[in-house]
Amino acid sequence: MLAASCFFYMFFKPEYILILIFTIVIDYIAGIYLEKIEDRAKKRRFLIMSIIANIGVLAVFKYYNFINDNITGVAHLFGFSNHMPSLKMILPIGLSFHTFQAMSYTIEVYRGNQKAEKHFGIYALYVMFYPQLVAGPIERPQNMIHQFHEKKLFTYDNAALGLNLIGYGLFKKLVVADRLGVYVDQVFGNVDAANTSSSVIALLFYYFQIYCDFSAYSDIARGTAKFMGFDLMENFNRPYLSKNISEYWRRWHISLSSWFSDYLYTPLATAKRDWGKWGIIFALVITFLIAGLWHGAGWNFVIFGFLQGIALSYEFLTKKLRKRISAKMPKAIYNGGSLLLAFSYWTFSLIFFRSPTFTIAGKLIHKIAQMNFHFNLPQLCGEKGPLNLVLSFMVILALTLRFLLPRDMRLKYPAVFLTVITLAIIILGKDVAAEFIYFQF
Amino acid sequence: MSQQNSSISSFKLFLTRIIVPVILAAAIAGWLFQRVFEKKVILSSEICGAYKVNRIINENDSNEVPIFGASMAQGGCIPHILGSDYFNYGLDGTGADVWLFFLKEECKKEKHTPLIIMNFSLDGLANSIGDISNYIYNADCPEVRELLGKHYKAYFSMPIIKYFGQYETYFRYFLNDKMNLTKYTDRGAAIEKNKMTKERFAQLVAERIKNKAVFENDAHLESEYTELFKNNPDRMFVIIITPYHSSYFTNFKNYPDAQDFLHRLGEMKNVRVFNFGKVNYPDSMFVNTTHLNYDGAVRFSKELKDSLATLNY
Repeated sequence: MLAASCFFYMFFKPEYILILIFTIVIDYIAGIYLEKIEDRAKKRRFLIMSIIANIGVLAVFKYYNFINDNITGVAHLFGFSNHMPSLKMILPIGLSFHTFQAMSYTIEVYRGNQKAEKHFGIYALYVMFYPQLVAGPIERPQNMIHQFHEKKLFTYDNAALGLNLIGYGLFKKLVVADRLGVYVDQVFGNVDAANTSSSVIALLFYYFQIYCDFSAYSDIARGTAKFMGFDLMENFNRPYLSKNISEYWRRWHISLSSWFSDYLYTPLATAKRDWGKWGIIFALVITFLIAGLWHGAGWNFVIFGFLQGIALSYEFLTKKLRKRISAKMPKAIYNGGSLLLAFSYWTFSLIFFRSPTFTIAGKLIHKIAQMNFHFNLPQLCGEKGPLNLVLSFMVILALTLRFLLPRDMRLKYPAVFLTVITLAIIILGKDVAAEFIYFQF
Repeated sequence: MSQQNSSISSFKLFLTRIIVPVILAAAIAGWLFQRVFEKKVILSSEICGAYKVNRIINENDSNEVPIFGASMAQGGCIPHILGSDYFNYGLDGTGADVWLFFLKEECKKEKHTPLIIMNFSLDGLANSIGDISNYIYNADCPEVRELLGKHYKAYFSMPIIKYFGQYETYFRYFLNDKMNLTKYTDRGAAIEKNKMTKERFAQLVAERIKNKAVFENDAHLESEYTELFKNNPDRMFVIIITPYHSSYFTNFKNYPDAQDFLHRLGEMKNVRVFNFGKVNYPDSMFVNTTHLNYDGAVRFSKELKDSLATLNY
């Protein structure tokens, strides 16, 4: 399994395996020492060393150019120049995912929640397990390491469930996400040609595109692992049903939000408990600024994170007030309104997630604010034709069919489901060779 | 041992309950769907590229006057204005290598009329396969496979999955052909019905002025064309250049080279050149700076008809 994982990773850029080996060796040794050493201060030093090694790799490969560009900008502002060269290299695939997974191991060993893994191969497999290596879910050692010690045998149930998940994941990626991407790319690539209608549609499509793209990868990862008898955590829990932004983060990219909650938000909030509610707000904003940066080295991601932090702070401060309002209103109206509001806010924040530059984000917001609903077919169709637009709405509607299937995807007649999904993919799928969006993170 | 046995029986169950039924059911349903789709959608829409490729290979109307080229031909020449025997084989996004393939197929045919219309671009002769969906239906034909070269994929010969990702393209052609939603269609021609807003057109003009236009011929293609014209003296090749918006010429690096090339071709016995490139058409007749809309296509087709009349065929 480890060899297969190495082969899988090296398929993208073979030399980058060395980065993985570096962090694996550091964290493996750190784990053993963290368990052995009794002295708390020494233990802490080992943990910090391991975290610095992991963050260091991230900083060099993912954030160096961003930091360097900003230093250059600030230096120019004050009449200085920055002679630090920019690095020309491709970001190692899934770096943020496996780095965070590796860090969760050392932190859990430090906290005493996980025994240090003595078998180097098994520890390496924990970091490199190929179904979730490049785009998560970001697993915890408590959930994964013991599974690698168990003997796995082929079972009909696992294989059937695994294929169901893979099939549904492929449907979401090839039929829904890639189709919506055609319209989204067109509008974001030429904002000047858009009007309010096409901008709003593009944003709505992007919401479903990114959800289907990322949750598809998680489904495929879970399905592949399940086929082999391994259980990965659920990463998405129908986020579109969220009634507020806090709930969004409990339903969207669960493995990342729970990672930040356990290892950053909770320690920060605890450390600042003297500040009362402002300590919570401080912890929320800092956590989401960093969560934004986790997604990419750019100010647009910082803004995305900041918007999340602000929304969560607002929800924290108005919790009691909202409870009082909800008690006085019909439940259906309050819940419906909350759902719509949360959906709109989340979708709006995605402008910064998707736009390659601030200028484009600004232009798109301006287009939406113009309220220009003048009917022009090429503009409305994002210059991609009415059939693409109609099919895009249809595939979004097709997602609702998921409610007809059991929540855990354990189907009575998997062969029927798999036949239908295979034909649907062949007939409705887009052949655009688009990578999974979250590969870039 | 018992664990191993249960694993083996589980695998057998998996094969008999899932893998075999799924493969069989998907293969039968997929094959049936494909047959119906090919007959009722792909081969029943004249503007579909796959239909045109199939028509040039497998059909022969001895009175037909073919029009070859890319989108400028497809959207600029209206067959019913030109005459009752014209058919527009223009394929969006294709280059001179594809037109040459069409020409070679055409020249193999026994015809009562020698006329062949070729739409050249002022960008010169370049290779471009265009949309791969044009060729999948005939992917097993040796000439098509040779044309596709490195673009050919093994799965183009596999039933059911050969059209993966392309069904929508064929269906779009079909809808446009039957319903004329966004395009006016006529014997292979597909002409844009929608008009650009003035603002959008102004943007396109500004973008065009910023970009440099260059005439550049692929030497190999140029010699192949010249050879083909020479080797088919019984055919009359009419080279046409459709009108361009004036902004196209603002930043044209070497227009005289394009003129020289057209002049060289025009000196051949069986080649005539009608260059409408610089004929001034109003903005309202363009979809963009290089392509005509319906109004423009109507005017151009009438003018082309008058020019063809001078040839006395």
